[in-house]
Amino acid sequence: MQITVNGEANELNEAEINLAKLLDIRQVESPEMVAVQLNGEFVEMKNYTSTYLKTGDDVEFLYFMGGGSR
Amino acid sequence: MTTTITADVFQDLKGVGCPMNLVKTKVAFSKMKSGQVLGLILDNGPPINNVPRSVIREGHEILSQEQLDDGTWSVLIRKA
Amino acid sequence: MIDFTEEQLERYSRHILLDDVGVDGQEKLLQAKVLIVGAGGLGCPAALYLAAAGVGTIGIIDSDIVEISNLQRQIAHFTKDINVSKVDSAAEKMQAINPDITVKTYKDYLCAENITKIIEGYDFVLDGTDNFPTKFLVNDACVFLGIPFSHGGILRFNGQTMTVIPGQTACYRCSFRTPPPPDAVPSCAQAGVLGAIAGMLGTIQAAEALKYITGVGELLTNGLLTFDARTMAFRKINLKRQVKCPLCGDNPSITRLVDAEQSVCELKTDPVAA
Repeated sequence: MQITVNGEANELNEAEINLAKLLDIRQVESPEMVAVQLNGEFVEMKNYTSTYLKTGDDVEFLYFMGGGSR
Repeated sequence: MTTTITADVFQDLKGVGCPMNLVKTKVAFSKMKSGQVLGLILDNGPPINNVPRSVIREGHEILSQEQLDDGTWSVLIRKA
Repeated sequence: MIDFTEEQLERYSRHILLDDVGVDGQEKLLQAKVLIVGAGGLGCPAALYLAAAGVGTIGIIDSDIVEISNLQRQIAHFTKDINVSKVDSAAEKMQAINPDITVKTYKDYLCAENITKIIEGYDFVLDGTDNFPTKFLVNDACVFLGIPFSHGGILRFNGQTMTVIPGQTACYRCSFRTPPPPDAVPSCAQAGVLGAIAGMLGTIQAAEALKYITGVGELLTNGLLTFDARTMAFRKINLKRQVKCPLCGDNPSITRLVDAEQSVCELKTDPVAA
């Protein structure tokens, strides 16, 4: 299955894969620090396991970034 | 050649180098109406080489430019 | 129309020379009011550049004092300023660069109770805070009051920023929804940060503020600019307003300002999130 993750083309061997598994494969250390966007739409964390990907999907991991003051 | 057009606003920029001569030209234009004429005195060298070119780039029209006896240039520009 | 003094003409000559800024743009800058939230890594470079640019009134809010560990990246604070309030330290440098401008200092911590009173009347807000509760609060207050703002964040070698025009473009909640749980958040203190990226990001935010005020070009809206300084790869991720955004969507559930610490606590007792 061919999907785009953070702007880069990715070939996945899995026939079926949900967002939770994708976060795992991509070794996202703390999923709480990532907001996920699928084809331009925000996906709630509680829906990661029920959201299955299909060929052509465009996934963005948006990292929470604080920093700045202290 | 005689110039029949007279300037509505006049700025003597003798001794004013680049880029302050252009800054002052832009300030003068900002207080003028479209179609009015600005008369400038510019030094020979970089000022006469640069200021008219820059005002053309901003869409204004050079009506005339002539060198005076002291080597400076008299330039008339119509505001866009 | 402002009558520029000779000194002002020289000081702002490089702005006036720009076709897109010019005399008009510089006048707008001198009449503008920008609030900088946080006098730290992002707020410092932004404050210096906005002061230098002649932004007429700059507010700066921070309740901290300068510590030696700040000096690696918080460029407005000097070694002599250790133990001085950050806003006083920053204001001193801003006025030293440009005595033309007015700097308003707030030795305060933004919260739901005081934010409206503080940010009301500013034309643009630049978020340079270190924590998510305040980032969300700034977003919410700006959306409620219709004040455009720049979001910014840095971590390790990475930075991100986006500009929000409330009611027109994606807000921070459209994409990030709710603050992450506090225990998951690494701070600069825990994670570290390459000093210079604070300057990279803070100056991008300052440029956005200057663009907004002068109307030059296109703002960084509906897009999150991210960079990784290890490779110097920059990316602009397209974002859009989300109809389900709890703040600026079609059926908003957030209708008043609350301190986000509270909502995080609420999240923890929410069986779905637990």
